[in-house]
Amino acid sequence: MSDLDEFKATYFDECSELLNELEEQFVAIEEGERDADRLNAVFRAIHSVKGGAGAFGFSGLVGFAHEYESLLDFVRNGKVELTDDVVTLCIKANDLVSDFVDAARSGEELAEDYGAEEKARFVALCKGDNADDDDDEDGEPLEEFDIEFTPVLVNLEDAGNDRDGWLVEFTPHRELYSRANDPLLLLRELAEIGEIDVKVLLGDVPTLGDFEPFAVYCTWEIFVIGEDVTEEKIREVFEFVEGDCDLKISEQEAREEEADDLDDEDVPSFADLAAEIKPKETPKPAAAKTVAPEAGGEGKSATPVGVQSIRVDLDKVDRVVNMVGELVITQSMLNQQMDDNLKARYQELVRGLEVLGQTTRGLQDSVMAIRAQPVKSVFSRMPRLVRELAAKTEKKIKLEMVGENTEIDKTIIEQLSDPLTHMIRNSADHGIESIETRVENGKPEMGTIRLSADQAGGSILIIVEDDGAGVNRERVLQVARDRGVIGEEQQLTDEQIDNLIFAPGFSTADAISDISGRGVGMDVVVSNIKKMGGSVNVRSWPGKGTRMTLRLPLTLAVLDVMLVKVANCPYVIPLSVIVETIQSSRAEFERLPSGDRVLQVRGEYVQSVDLATRFDLVTDAEEENRFVVLCETEGSSKVAVIVDAIIGQQQVVIKSLEENFESIDGVAGGTILGDGSVALILDVQGLRARNNHRNAA
Amino acid sequence: MRVLTVDDSRTMLAMLHHTLSGAGYEVLQADDGQKGLDVLKGEDVDVVITDINMPVMDGIEFIKNVRASGEYQSLPILILTTETSQEKRDLGRSAGGTGWIVKPFDPEKLISVLQRVVH
Repeated sequence: MSDLDEFKATYFDECSELLNELEEQFVAIEEGERDADRLNAVFRAIHSVKGGAGAFGFSGLVGFAHEYESLLDFVRNGKVELTDDVVTLCIKANDLVSDFVDAARSGEELAEDYGAEEKARFVALCKGDNADDDDDEDGEPLEEFDIEFTPVLVNLEDAGNDRDGWLVEFTPHRELYSRANDPLLLLRELAEIGEIDVKVLLGDVPTLGDFEPFAVYCTWEIFVIGEDVTEEKIREVFEFVEGDCDLKISEQEAREEEADDLDDEDVPSFADLAAEIKPKETPKPAAAKTVAPEAGGEGKSATPVGVQSIRVDLDKVDRVVNMVGELVITQSMLNQQMDDNLKARYQELVRGLEVLGQTTRGLQDSVMAIRAQPVKSVFSRMPRLVRELAAKTEKKIKLEMVGENTEIDKTIIEQLSDPLTHMIRNSADHGIESIETRVENGKPEMGTIRLSADQAGGSILIIVEDDGAGVNRERVLQVARDRGVIGEEQQLTDEQIDNLIFAPGFSTADAISDISGRGVGMDVVVSNIKKMGGSVNVRSWPGKGTRMTLRLPLTLAVLDVMLVKVANCPYVIPLSVIVETIQSSRAEFERLPSGDRVLQVRGEYVQSVDLATRFDLVTDAEEENRFVVLCETEGSSKVAVIVDAIIGQQQVVIKSLEENFESIDGVAGGTILGDGSVALILDVQGLRARNNHRNAA
Repeated sequence: MRVLTVDDSRTMLAMLHHTLSGAGYEVLQADDGQKGLDVLKGEDVDVVITDINMPVMDGIEFIKNVRASGEYQSLPILILTTETSQEKRDLGRSAGGTGWIVKPFDPEKLISVLQRVVH
C-alpha cells in the first residue's frame, strides 16, 4: 500500500467514526439537547471531514462540507437559529456527506450538482440571518480555500532580472519574541531567496540595567539581491511577523560599496548582539546561500508520545490472541504432567506453575479486552433506523436503549449490525401496531422498542423487545405451511411458531428486498449468528409484544468447556449450555416406539443424543457408569447428551474446522488439549437438529 | 529536532507524521490541547504544530497555556488552519502563535515553514 493509500484508508476510517458520531449527536439534538459542547463537536466532525478531503483533493466533498461547516459555525455561534427545519436539513446533509465519502472511497463520480440544493440552503441560511455582516468573513468563497496552496504567480517582468535588488528595512516591535519568532531565522530565510547583505542599527539598545532579555531593540537593513527575488517572496518571509514589526520593502539600485562596508563592520557586531540576547543560539552567517535543514538524521523513527490510545492492526492482535491461546494450552499441559509424586518432590515448581497459571489467565483476559468494544457503535445507528421506519409506516415509535457500554468482541460487533437492523425492522413493521389500532386497544399511541445489551455468564444477550401485537401465529403458520417450511400436519408449540420467522425459507423475496437493501434474508442472518456460536430466540405474547433474544459468545477465541470422553475420544461441551450432569444409573429414560430414548427430568421429557451412536463409535463403557449431560439450547429446549465419562472443566482455544477441514453438523470446531490431543467442540443445537432430521426420515 | 503535533484528526496526525519523519524530524503526537500540554510537561520539544478546532482544549487555549507557562515562551508554535481570513489568523497570533500552516498543506511547504521558525 502506498503512503497515500494508507492515509486515505486512515481518513475513511476516521470519516466513518465521525459520521457515526454525527449520527449520535443529532439524535440528542433532535431530542432537544442543543448545548454548546454538542454543537462544537458537530462542527469539529465536519471540519475534520473537510480537512482530510482537502488533502486528498476530493473537491466535491470539500465543497459541500465547506458550506455545511459554515452553516454549523453560524449555528454554534448563535447566528443561525437551530430550528427543527435546520436540524432536518443537517441530518440530510450528514447523509450527503456520507454519500460523498462513499463516492470518494469507491472512486465513483457523483453528479456535479449532487447536494447543490442543500448547499444553496446553507448559503441562504447563512446569508439570511447575517445580511449586515461583512461578506468576505463568513461567506468566504470556496475558491479561496481551494487556491490556498497554488504557487504564487511570478511576474517575470518584475522578477528581478533587470532589477538591482531590494532593500528591506525591518524594525521588530518588542513583542516579536513573545510569539517565538526570531529575526535570526527571518534573515536565514531571506538568505535562501537571494544573496543578502545585512546592516544592523543598534541605536535603541538600552544600557544593561534596562535591558529586557525578551525584547528586541534593533533595526535591520537588509539588501537582497537575486535573480528571482520578488517583493512577494520577501513579504512571505515576514508573513508571520506582520503586525509585530515595521517593514518597508523597496527596490534599490545596486550598492556594492555599501555592501562591502557592511560585511566588514556590522555583521560581527550583529552576531555578537545576537549571541548576547540568546546566548545558546549560534547565528548562521547572514550571507549564507543555503541553509541545510537542521532536522537531525538520528530521529528517523518517530515516537508518538502522549496519546491515550493507539491503533493496531487486527491481525496483530489476533496473532497475540493465538499465541496466548497456545500458552494456555502449554500451561494446562504442564499442569497435567504434575502427578502427586512430582508435586511432593518439587514444591517450588508447583508454586511456580500456580503463578504461571494465574498470570496466563490474566494475560488472556487482557488480550481479550483489547478486542472488546462497546456495542454502542452498532446501537448508535438504530435510533435513526427507528425514526425512518416510524416515518415510513406512519407509526409513532420510540426507541429505548440500555447497556450500550457492554463490551463485545470486535468481530462479533461488526457482524451485529445486520441482525439488529432486521430485528428492529421486524419490530417496527410487524410488531408495533398503527396508531388507531393501539388507541382502540387502549395502548399509548407511542409504541416502544427496547434495545438492550447485557452480559450473562459467558454470553452476551442482546434483546429487542416491543410492546406491539406479538407474532401473528395463525398467519405465520399459514405462510410456513404454504412455503413448505413445515409439513401440513406438523403440530408446533406457540414458541416454535414464533421462531418460524427466523426459519430458512420463511422470509420471502419481498421481505428480502424490504430489508436494508442488502439482499440478506432473515435466515442468513440467523445462520451467521450461529456461525459465531450464537443463537436467536423469539417469544411473543399476543397483544402485548414480542421479545427477540440474541445470545452471543463473549469472545470468539476462548471457551470455558467441560471435557468429556466417548469411546476414549475426548470431546468438549461449552460450559454455557450445560444445565446439569446426571449419572446414567440415576437417570430415568423412557423408550419411544422409534427406538430413541427420552430422558425424564422433573416431569419434563428431554430428547437424548447418545454421542457414541451419533458419531458411530463403539464404546465399551457400562451403561450405568455413563453420564448424561443435560444441555439447554436456545429457546429453552433441552437435550440430554450421553457420554462415557466426565473429565473436568477447562478453557480451550477454538480452532475453526471450516478453515482446516469442513463444517460438520453437531460440531462447532476443534481444539487442542493440554496433552496435545485434538478434541471436537460439540454444537449441542446442531446435534439436536440432526436428530430431528433422522426422526423425520 | 522534535515536533509535537496536536490534532484531533488521525488523518492529519498521520500525514504530519509521515511528512515530518520523512524529513528527519522526531514526531510526538497529541489529539487535543490538554494532551499537548501533558506531553510538553514531560518531553523536550523544539516546535509545535497545532490544530485549532479540537475537543477538550482547543488550539487557542492550548497556545495561551503554553505561553503562560513561562518555560515555553520561545517555543515556536505553528497553527494548522483552514481559515484564510485575517481575523482568524490574528486570533491565533494574539494567543501567541508563531505562524500558521494552511490545510491542506503541501509537504515541502510544511517543511519550509517549519524551518522558518526553528533554529
